[in-house]
Amino acid sequence: MTENDFNRRDFLKVLGWGGTAVALSGCGNTSIQDGKEVITPYVTLPDYVIPGIANYFNTTCAQCGAGCNIKGRVREGRVLKAEGNQHSPVNRGKMCGLGQTGVQNHYNPDRVTQPMLAGKTVTWEQALGAINDKLDSVKGEQVAFLTGDISGHSRVLLDNYLDALGSKNHFSYEAASPAVLRAANKKAYGVEMPRYRIDKAKMVVSFGADFLGAWITPVHFAQQYAQFRKGSRPEGRGVLVQFEPKMTLTGANADRWVALRPGSEGVMALGLINAAAGYGLKLPSDIAAVVREYTPERVSLDTGVPFEQINKVAKLLVERSPSLVLAGDAAEGYVHGMQNAVAIAMLNQVLGNVGKTIEAPASVPFPQLAPAVGNRASLVEFNKGLAAGKYKVVFTYGTNPVFSAPAALQFQNNLKQADFKVAFAHYMDETAQAADLVLPLASAMEDWATVVPEYTAAPEGSHAGTYVHMSFRQPMMEKLYPDTRGIGDILLALLKQHQPDDYKDFDDFYSYLHSAVVKNKVALGGKASDDDDEFWNATVGKGIVPLSGRANRVSARLTAADLRLPPVSGPDSAYPLRLVPAVSASMRDGRNANEPWLQESPDPLTTVVWDSWVEINPQTAAKMGIKEGDIIEIASRSGSIKTQAYLFPGIHPDVISVPVGYGHHGMGRYADGTGANVYSMLDPVFEEKTGELALNETNVRIAKSGERVVMVKDEGAVGGSQAGRAKIAVQWPIDKVDYSKEV
Amino acid sequence: MQHILRLFILLVGLFAGVTCYAADKAPALTTPDQLGPEIQQPIKFPHFRHAGDAKDGGMQINCMYCHTYARRSLVSGIPPVQKCIGCHRSIMSVRNKPRIKKLFEYWEAKKPIPWKKVNDIPDFVRFNHERHIQRFYFQLDRPYQEVCGYCHGDVKKLTVDRREKPLTMGWCRSCHMKDHPISKASKKIGHGPNDCFTCHK
Repeated sequence: MTENDFNRRDFLKVLGWGGTAVALSGCGNTSIQDGKEVITPYVTLPDYVIPGIANYFNTTCAQCGAGCNIKGRVREGRVLKAEGNQHSPVNRGKMCGLGQTGVQNHYNPDRVTQPMLAGKTVTWEQALGAINDKLDSVKGEQVAFLTGDISGHSRVLLDNYLDALGSKNHFSYEAASPAVLRAANKKAYGVEMPRYRIDKAKMVVSFGADFLGAWITPVHFAQQYAQFRKGSRPEGRGVLVQFEPKMTLTGANADRWVALRPGSEGVMALGLINAAAGYGLKLPSDIAAVVREYTPERVSLDTGVPFEQINKVAKLLVERSPSLVLAGDAAEGYVHGMQNAVAIAMLNQVLGNVGKTIEAPASVPFPQLAPAVGNRASLVEFNKGLAAGKYKVVFTYGTNPVFSAPAALQFQNNLKQADFKVAFAHYMDETAQAADLVLPLASAMEDWATVVPEYTAAPEGSHAGTYVHMSFRQPMMEKLYPDTRGIGDILLALLKQHQPDDYKDFDDFYSYLHSAVVKNKVALGGKASDDDDEFWNATVGKGIVPLSGRANRVSARLTAADLRLPPVSGPDSAYPLRLVPAVSASMRDGRNANEPWLQESPDPLTTVVWDSWVEINPQTAAKMGIKEGDIIEIASRSGSIKTQAYLFPGIHPDVISVPVGYGHHGMGRYADGTGANVYSMLDPVFEEKTGELALNETNVRIAKSGERVVMVKDEGAVGGSQAGRAKIAVQWPIDKVDYSKEV
Repeated sequence: MQHILRLFILLVGLFAGVTCYAADKAPALTTPDQLGPEIQQPIKFPHFRHAGDAKDGGMQINCMYCHTYARRSLVSGIPPVQKCIGCHRSIMSVRNKPRIKKLFEYWEAKKPIPWKKVNDIPDFVRFNHERHIQRFYFQLDRPYQEVCGYCHGDVKKLTVDRREKPLTMGWCRSCHMKDHPISKASKKIGHGPNDCFTCHK
């Protein structure tokens, strides 16, 4: 083809001229299509509907576990968009990008629409019959459920079903969950999930807690953070210092971001206690004795942070009380993650923050509705049970373990030990593909549910100590696919087969929920004299039911004996770098990866879209001759992946970071083959106290594969050549930029 | 340079071809009689009977009795089947006419009538019925048939509706350039908005 060697640049030039021609010639009135579209009128019109004008219905977001109260904008029977519910103590009228994408979860073209048995479409009767046939041949203890976070009345039905089967095997698994933190909090303060009051603190020191991105309840924390940063606040503008090996969105917002050696968070916390004592902080003598050996010099050596900085942060902490110290994903993902988190909690204790910026949460008055919160230890336990052949019939719901379990756990293989695997599935994801029976779920915008979030945010006021709420999820529209069913409906149908008499009054989950709510209307804030239907309509209409919960206490419970930290480990010669899997604000654990808005919204720090990437410190990259866009092979002892290099100064030189959630195979058209799945290559290392999978304990080595790509990202000069650029673009001061040369 | 020229000619040819093809396929904006195309509706609804003048055998029903959302919403609304039945269940004289029988068939099956859209504008245009009706019918107190007729023509004389105006941007603008008093009580003169974003949001 020497004759026609058009190159890309020429093509684009000519396309520019040609485009104008098309624009001119295309200006017809060709889009008026009289008589082509159909206008379907209502047969009978509900009172509140005016075609063309939207109605809003309160519901609860299902995109993550925070349980934000939202309202759906519905026009002519279609849900179009979600907005925050301003009466919510969780999100106070705001929403995040992940929540907005809920409509793409609902309208997704890759949803499962029909029950499928061994790859063939079946009816619901056949599907439920198949479950019963299998259950007849096994004992109760051979049945197991693996779910994600589950709360409210769906959880009640699930527990009832397990009781009916005589099984106690409910495992709640969330790949990205603050499970080690819960255990540390329980030990340090007496509650698993206290209320953090960033808004009351004069200073926040966060050890890798990405509370503006993906940590626990980010929309709520972002609002607290906005208060925290207001100079007009009585406490003045707060100071945020972030210690972490890889910069998170919160780290990027901090006044001081400090890269520290991964795993040395606990050492830093004790070093800060010791240094704070030097600035006048009074310590109990036994604690002083333990932290004495954590001198700034030693801590500096262990963590790689200059001791002037340690002293500076310690001084600020002493000066700015109350403060708040947070232990996030970066601190807990180690064998000694619990000790790290406990050392960090001790910092709160000696600074007197417990009870001031760490407040007691309230518990739900109905413990059966409380959330069964997910962790990673339960996956490990479930996996062991599978490997031992203990479970013959397994159900999975709201979680995708085949995707998110490290390959070294052999989960996919072990799952084959179970004779009959039932997946409640929204997408035909990796776990659903491994299942014998796939039951299609209605989307969160088509289904009824009640939700009790783990983190109990409360409005300001005297009742805050006992305030806890239950949120309603109600259908925004008719089901898109009539053969899908909600989890509540499926569980109810399964229960009816075992206990027909107990559930004969309930045609569906709606009637069950209705009856459960109106029967308890006094406890749910109504009066005994209220009309049932009026109470129900008002309650569902608001979407939030404040409950009078049980007050808890937080107290400072740690002693010097709890502070035991292992020595900081040296580098691994064969695998010299540490891999930090990053949980990003939009992709989270990857369950929503098939929603294109999430794929196309640029990562806040790297601006990369539609792919995964590996963040490498420019120093490290320069040593290895790595440039942006080089395809890097990352190998651990347990596996390897390939992805594009992104040179990022916000990462410790001995650390690389890859976002989780990418690299699906079999979830849908947008997720499949986009990026690489970093979960697959994690080493099976466990936190020693809780048994949690330690996510940051994987050592890796990297090598250039020889291939390169031009990164698709938002940042950088528009139209500028990205290929071959060795370092991050130089930032010019605004007055030095010569705009005359801009295109 | 030569290969750029060659590429240019190739692409121009390609675009020209595509454009000609597209122009050929596009439906004509108006038929020879200056109206939109005739459209087959599931029921041949007689507008002249409902809205027409008494001398022509019409009942002079206000357009907004059936298209009830025109004054409150973006769209004027096709009446729900319930509305048709509301009157027709007590008009026994025409109960056995084929069109009314068909109407009752839809009603009894609780099925909506799949009317074809007659006055279509592109999806990138936001037209608001409410603004026009509020201004001309309620504030300027002009007769409803005149107000609706600005865009829809003389529907009261038709059986099944047909588009009678071009509904193009130039045509909209031809009216939006005209001055008119802004309300009956005021002598102030104004005209419709001519900003791009008013319609192209």
